Amino acid sequence: MKLALRELIRRPQRFATATVILTLIALLLMFLGGLLDGLINSSTEAVSAQRGDALVFSEKSRSSFPSSRIDADQRAAYDDAFGADNVGGIGIAQFGGRLPDAGPRDLISIALFGYELAPAGVPDDPPVDGEVYADSVLEDEGVTEGMTLLLGPARVPVTVIGFVDDVNYLSQGTLWGSLTTWRTVQNANRPDDPIADGVVQSLVVRGEIANVSVDGTRMLTIDESVDALPGVKEQRGTFGQIIGVTIVIAIVVVGLFFALITVERIGLYGILKAIGARSRTLFAGVLLQAIVLTLIASVVAGVIAALLDRTIPPGAIPFDLSLGRLLTSIALLLLAAVIGSAFSLRRVLRVDPASAIGSVI
Amino acid sequence: MFLALKEMRRAKVRFGMLVAAVALLVFLILFQQSLQNGLLRSFVGAIEHQTAPVLVYSVDGQKVLQASIITPDLEATIAAVDGIGRSGAIAQGSFAATVADELVDVSVIGFETEGLGSPELNAGRLPTALGEVVASDVDADAGFGVGESVLIEPGGLELTVVGLAPESQLNAGPTMFATLETYQAVLAARNPDASASVAPLPNVIGVEPAAGVTTTELVAAINATSDDLEALTREDAAQQTPGVAQVRSSFLVIFLLYGIVVPLIIGLFFLIVTFQKAGSLTLLRAIGASASRLVSSLLIQVVIVLGAGYLLGVLLYTPISRQRLGTIPLEFETKAVIVWAVLLIGLGMLASLVSARRVLRIDPIEATTGAGAGR
Repeated sequence: MKLALRELIRRPQRFATATVILTLIALLLMFLGGLLDGLINSSTEAVSAQRGDALVFSEKSRSSFPSSRIDADQRAAYDDAFGADNVGGIGIAQFGGRLPDAGPRDLISIALFGYELAPAGVPDDPPVDGEVYADSVLEDEGVTEGMTLLLGPARVPVTVIGFVDDVNYLSQGTLWGSLTTWRTVQNANRPDDPIADGVVQSLVVRGEIANVSVDGTRMLTIDESVDALPGVKEQRGTFGQIIGVTIVIAIVVVGLFFALITVERIGLYGILKAIGARSRTLFAGVLLQAIVLTLIASVVAGVIAALLDRTIPPGAIPFDLSLGRLLTSIALLLLAAVIGSAFSLRRVLRVDPASAIGSVI
Repeated sequence: MFLALKEMRRAKVRFGMLVAAVALLVFLILFQQSLQNGLLRSFVGAIEHQTAPVLVYSVDGQKVLQASIITPDLEATIAAVDGIGRSGAIAQGSFAATVADELVDVSVIGFETEGLGSPELNAGRLPTALGEVVASDVDADAGFGVGESVLIEPGGLELTVVGLAPESQLNAGPTMFATLETYQAVLAARNPDASASVAPLPNVIGVEPAAGVTTTELVAAINATSDDLEALTREDAAQQTPGVAQVRSSFLVIFLLYGIVVPLIIGLFFLIVTFQKAGSLTLLRAIGASASRLVSSLLIQVVIVLGAGYLLGVLLYTPISRQRLGTIPLEFETKAVIVWAVLLIGLGMLASLVSARRVLRIDPIEATTGAGAGR
């Protein structure tokens, strides 16, 4: 083991290129993972933050908020089943928002949520009509507390009374207000597609959902609702496959590199075996080197990924690097290093001390 | 040549692993190229393949078809702009529909005037009667073929496909073009609160320049008329749709990283192999083998490894490139296959020059001292 470490310290140039390649692969893994998390989070936070056991959509809406419509009778049925305090309506309207003093063409993308039962991070009681809490990502767009935004072509005014975190929806900053505020904004801007009083797009319910069924509606757990958002399942599946193949490439690269290094050291291993070193010890040295290289590569890649996370301007690339993603990527790479270096095991076991010494002498 | 091939035959596993690594990387690059292009086509294909040369959005829409709303005042403003030949309303919305007994999300685009928002056609005809639609040809096998029916939910309005448009998806899902009258019926089927007597507000206005006016001039004239209007040429409307630039930049970073990894792996492999063969190479030089022969041997191996890896990668990619990824149809990207082949083989050769330099530095006299390329 000491020998393996000493070789790394004394001949770092031998391992430099492999480390650079592993660094790039680690960076790729972290970037792909950060991209996946960024895409998913920017689309789903507002739904995953819902504090309930299920969301209710109309049966044939494909669990899409804009296509869903829960009428007053259906709402009443859920009130009876769960208790009125455990059922809250949700409505979403997506419009451009105008900031005071901004240029006439400088609008920001906004999703206005009307709510009754607050999601995590949003105050329990909805603000009075015409007032909203704003997603903190909108601060980057210049939104401040007390500011009045004009929503949609009808320029319906809403006033920001505070900020909330982690409630993005489909890559848009969100505003959170009462159902009346949502309905007013929607109907003023879309008179051709109005929402009647008592109608909402979805319900959040709290309680045992197993035995409840209301005609024309379907209930999905919060996780199922997140997966039902457009593109979420596809993004997870596709990026998962790409990350998987990248791990396989890392295994092949580590395997290839240490197979070559092992071939180079056959004579040395022969001598070491002849003086009593066990195959297990020699292989442990290879394994240790693979792990150390991978750790160095992972740390360098992690620093670069963190710098990327800080320097990518908001809105340019949906990149969101979390500690969990970093650690997962490093763990996967370490696994790849262990598997890759195992390719050298057979060769190390096959080293015959006598013939190896003969070839050296 | 003989030396290069013989060495490869004797170290099949070693060269095989390198070929496998290159093949996997090539497969990933090409697959992601298909994914990127498929995503972009499914996001904005319907905008690229509709017929209006200029689309006028409301600034509020921020270049998103569904988010833009043209009020009667704005419509009147557009109509008053000099240089407009023809104009027609275009509306778009997302709906749930039952297709072949399955519930799917669909986009419906309603157009008022043929040639201004109507689709290009590659089969069938344009819709004329209430309930007729043109679907995208990429969805034809998914229940959107000519003659097939689509039920808009929850109202159950039946639409019949009468034509197919080339690669005309929107929002990465099945998309249908209909007359404005049909669009209004679709809206009412989804939302009973929408009055059938209130015409839907257009999302955008499709316009055509008058004779002697270019599309660029018309775009500038409309944008100069009102700060509430955003006129874009068809191509710009597709390229500037939010998300398109993000997809491009995200994939660019990924391609860049993969593009660096391939030549580095090739370079590293051949460098190590050259170090390992240092003694043999010095001996070969000492018995008269020219440096150019040894270098050409090395380069032949590089070309064979890259060529075999690339070929294997393309073989892996070919069946995948004909699949659908959810609602996104992938295509075999011939141009990408050629461009990446040139790029990766070029970069791989470049990376192997470090090993070639080592070979050129071998001094035959060192055969007698035991030194060589491995110094």
